[in-house]
Amino acid sequence: MSATSTGLSAVAESRAGGEILIALEAADRRSATDSAAAIRARLSERFSGCNATVLVTTAGTDPALVDPADAPDVPPAAPTLAGAAMAGQPSVLRTVLEEADRRGARAAALLSAAHDESLDWLGHLFQPILEADFDFVSPSYRRNRFDGMLNTAIVYPLVRSLFGRRLRQPTGSEAAFSVTLARSLLAQPAWRRDPAYAGSPAWLVGSILAGACRACQAWLGRWPGGAGPAEDASHALARIVGPWFHEMERHAERWQRVEGSEPVPTFGQGAALDGERSDVDVAALEDGFRLGLRELESLWGLVLPPATLLALRRAAAAPAGKARVSDPVWARIVYDFAVAYSVRAVERQQLLRSMTPLYLGWVRGFVEDVRELDADGTEERVEALCGWFEREKRYGIARWRWPDNFNP
Amino acid sequence: MWQNTKRVFLDSVEHILNAAAQLLPSVLAMLVIFIFTLVLAIAVRSVVRRLCNKLALDRRLREWGVAPVSSDSWASPTKLLTRISFWTVLLLGLFLGLSVLDTPVASAIDLRILEYAPRLLVAFAMFAIAVGIARVVERNVLIGAVNMGMQSARLIALGARWLVVLLGAAIALDHAGVGASVVPLAFGILFGGIVFALALAVGLGAKDLVARSLQRRFPDAGSAEAPPEQEEPRGGIHHV
Repeated sequence: MSATSTGLSAVAESRAGGEILIALEAADRRSATDSAAAIRARLSERFSGCNATVLVTTAGTDPALVDPADAPDVPPAAPTLAGAAMAGQPSVLRTVLEEADRRGARAAALLSAAHDESLDWLGHLFQPILEADFDFVSPSYRRNRFDGMLNTAIVYPLVRSLFGRRLRQPTGSEAAFSVTLARSLLAQPAWRRDPAYAGSPAWLVGSILAGACRACQAWLGRWPGGAGPAEDASHALARIVGPWFHEMERHAERWQRVEGSEPVPTFGQGAALDGERSDVDVAALEDGFRLGLRELESLWGLVLPPATLLALRRAAAAPAGKARVSDPVWARIVYDFAVAYSVRAVERQQLLRSMTPLYLGWVRGFVEDVRELDADGTEERVEALCGWFEREKRYGIARWRWPDNFNP
Repeated sequence: MWQNTKRVFLDSVEHILNAAAQLLPSVLAMLVIFIFTLVLAIAVRSVVRRLCNKLALDRRLREWGVAPVSSDSWASPTKLLTRISFWTVLLLGLFLGLSVLDTPVASAIDLRILEYAPRLLVAFAMFAIAVGIARVVERNVLIGAVNMGMQSARLIALGARWLVVLLGAAIALDHAGVGASVVPLAFGILFGGIVFALALAVGLGAKDLVARSLQRRFPDAGSAEAPPEQEEPRGGIHHV
């Protein structure tokens, strides 16, 4: 993808100044201390008038921010780049927001790991807030085409069609925000009403996209998390997609009024990484889809309308190596599952985990389509999927409003 | 002759009237108990219905797959529970009412039924809960097995369901005091058989999966091939 890079050359230098607060989720004390020192040095070099404060987050029942030098034992951090914040855990985000508010920091960020030092990633992250009056910066990373597949298949197209803004990687737990936004978020009643959920990555991005604040995205170079620990597709689906279905419930009145989508201001250059291995086992994906249709069709019958089930049966009846879930069917399936999640047609964890074979069926077709494509071609393929999500949104709205009517 | 007949007849009538007069208070007491029981049964039915509605029992049980999704509200769990509670109270009241007649046979039967009824009710509740749990377990196991790519997912889910049903049935029968030592024995045989069948189903249906799991767990156990350091995700895709 060739992302648009927004230039800020005309912005006056004099606007820089004040405090920048960075909350770092570090693996251990040594790496936290090293990272904090490096970030401080780079920030003072990049934003000369600013005073940078780097703190590390401590895990546990009562998250706090401490100076890395004072941190007695920073516990090993879970891989949180892709939003591993668990429902029920106290939110680190709230601690960061409160600290930013207390200090009156001009900008604050919650970061998870070391970054690509060959790039001006700190500049990309804070420049929009310090020099262009943005309230929120969503970090994005260059990744292999087949990494972060849940984001490609569900979260990005869904969030884009719901809120009408093309935030490429809305699943991460990292964020940079202005103190104005921090105060606005702290004032939300969700902290009281649903403290276990408030502060999760989906809640943060959903609140921002549904609100009126100025949001942008910044490409911060290569994905720093590596391949990451392998996570079972069904668990990942329940963990990542569930909160977004919850966001659909929270902002139902807002997203039903949105039509189409528009790009968000983008800083830095983004594209998928080239030279990736393409040894994806499509046969395993296809087998998973066929097995799911055979065994879970009765369960899906509580969620999907007969027309979609018929389309799935036809897809599964294709010769070996040809079975796939098409984009329009997939878009409808995602909306149908969101509706079933909302009306609790099936227990929510069961519902999300039962979506796995359908997801594998769509991924199988996607892999086949982009196998021979370069980064730009792959992004065009993702654009086509997003187009279907936007076109099928009317279907989603109809299902949402009349969930008992299977043939809107 | 006529005088004798008249005397015998009058004696009989007097005897019957005396007996009826002696029985009348008991009959009245029985009728009062019946009416009280009927009122109590209606009240219990109303309380149970309100409680079920407040807990959204129908929706929750449908959501968990315990109750079938059906447009027939006559068969809803709330209706079932209200009917069971109504008739249970009514039947217990009936037996209680009969016991006040103070006839030896009725008293003995009533006493035994009233003693046994609570145990029977608890046993029935245990079995019903076990059946509900079994359906939840079945659906969970089915989804999990499908997501793991097990071809015999349905068989494994059914096995898991029947394990729970059998366990519940054995506990319920034991509690009700039915079958004495035969129940644990039969349960042990059936439980063992199902576990064996499940082991075969897992072993045959997902032998590759099991082999990979064992290889990861015991890397030095007889395999020349070095185990991968990290599990490769299904199909070689990183989902997160």
